[in-house]
Amino acid sequence: MAPNARPLWKRVLLSAWARPVLLVILLLVMWDLTIRIFRIPPYLIPTPWAVVQQLVGEWPKLWREGLVTTYATLGGFGLAIAFGIPMALFIAYSRTIESFVYPLLVFSQSVPKVAIAPLFVVWFGFGIFPKIICAFMLGFFPIVVSTVMGFKSVEPDMIDLARSMKASKLSTFMRIRFPQALPSIFAGLKVSVTLAVVGAVVGEFVGSNSGIGYLLQIANGNFDLPLMFAGLTVLSGIGVLLFVVVDVVERLLIPWHASHRNDFAATA
Amino acid sequence: MFKRLTLIAAALVCALAGSTAFAQAKDKVTLMLNWYTYSEHAPLYLGLERGYFADEGIDLDIQEGRGSGVTIQAVAAGTATFGYADIATMIKAASKGAPVIAVGVALQTSPMSVMGFADKNIRKPADIKGKTVAVTPGDSMSQVWPLFLKKTGLKETDFTTVSGDAQTKLNAVMTGKADLLLGYVMDQAIKLQDGAHKEVYPIRFADYGVNMVSSGIVVQKDYLKAHPDVVKRFLKAATRSLEEGAKDPKAAVDAMLKAKPKSGVEDTALVGMKATAKLYKGPDNPKDRPLRVGAKNMQETLTLLEQYGGLDKATAGKATDYYTNAYLP
Repeated sequence: MAPNARPLWKRVLLSAWARPVLLVILLLVMWDLTIRIFRIPPYLIPTPWAVVQQLVGEWPKLWREGLVTTYATLGGFGLAIAFGIPMALFIAYSRTIESFVYPLLVFSQSVPKVAIAPLFVVWFGFGIFPKIICAFMLGFFPIVVSTVMGFKSVEPDMIDLARSMKASKLSTFMRIRFPQALPSIFAGLKVSVTLAVVGAVVGEFVGSNSGIGYLLQIANGNFDLPLMFAGLTVLSGIGVLLFVVVDVVERLLIPWHASHRNDFAATA
Repeated sequence: MFKRLTLIAAALVCALAGSTAFAQAKDKVTLMLNWYTYSEHAPLYLGLERGYFADEGIDLDIQEGRGSGVTIQAVAAGTATFGYADIATMIKAASKGAPVIAVGVALQTSPMSVMGFADKNIRKPADIKGKTVAVTPGDSMSQVWPLFLKKTGLKETDFTTVSGDAQTKLNAVMTGKADLLLGYVMDQAIKLQDGAHKEVYPIRFADYGVNMVSSGIVVQKDYLKAHPDVVKRFLKAATRSLEEGAKDPKAAVDAMLKAKPKSGVEDTALVGMKATAKLYKGPDNPKDRPLRVGAKNMQETLTLLEQYGGLDKATAGKATDYYTNAYLP
């Protein structure tokens, strides 16, 4: 059956972008019903409607603070790429470096960032820098791990083929190793960018005069749960948006990969 | 051999402890504190150690908290029986529908202050000009702060503000990134002293006409209705604990350090405990026993919250909606 034969409403309902929206609406309805049925008081969980009202009413503030958090996230994400991919290259190409660095990297990943975040303020002050570092710390590891995996899982046959054709090391890298590693790299980038948002907020929670983390702290102090949930919504929105951006870049760079052969199927 | 002996001994102790508790059938209650244990809580540990609560037939379990807000939510949801929490915060939660009420107010003179190391020579509000102040956005001190500024003729632009959580405030002053922080005389002042081994000078809000009740005992309204006798007995023991703690601060601090060895350093915890005891009386009821709060004091607190604490006047109601002295000894 060709998709065009279906009625319009069915096509709209089943289209890729409508499905997550439908799920969100379903979840919102369940949220509202749960509150009504179990009579959950508003000081424990706000109603979806109250959150929407705050989202609309406080939008200028949420937008302003959201931008601050986005800058910190992008800064941390950029740093994570700038350091993570070269480091992964070294690890993938040299067993010596791998044996030195990798265990330490795993060790550092297990340090709870929330616990050391207060120290970042001591070391780097109250500006945007400690938040960038926080975002970097959370976003760094997934990039390194998946990039290493990507570079290591290049098919040996392909390398042999390149060698038999007397390709130089550089062109083997540019034409085979790097493109073959790209899908893994992007998998890492996607995980990384959502974690970087979390990192930026952790940084803001600990010490900041602006950002969504700062807003959450004030809302928490005033028992303003609707504002708090509105802040969380904006935060998730930032995460989704950045994820989609990475996804689009991935499509442009590796349109040939299996995950993209079905037109626009795997976003979000 | 030795291992087996200790095992048997442990089993015996357990059996004994179990049987005594069973025999007396005490009321099990949980008291959730506003924060990790510090000197302010010492009298409660004294009461626990000396058996004041056991005398009233109460099997008390003290749980440490992570901020008054969480403690109040736990009490409202029935997770904790009693809460030792900031009453101003409780009023805000109650005005949003949390079914909680204060049955006793421990600190009736505000411990709020703006403090820095004594060697910086910041001793009166005018000295704050040009300095950096660390605050935690959204907490009760940061909300009353504008009133203190107004009463002392300062403007927000006279100084620099940096914001961070409780630990960041301390770190900022400790490392010199800020000159002052907003904190409690018996809490942050002691922590700064312990950390830097330098004297701290607090400028108390209460000395400049900004008074607000602070920590108190909070209970769920339904629980109060269902178990008035448990609340009465608990408050009797708590009053006795606070009185004895004020009389013998050293014993109180020792009891606290014995129960929670990491909760402080003896010398400074003692200073903190003495500072706490000075706050037990409010300006309008100097003769009352601890926990019994004056009506005027509570009304002023409510008015302050309406004007500066983001409390909605329309839903605020009367001060008597938020506290009762009826269950106190």
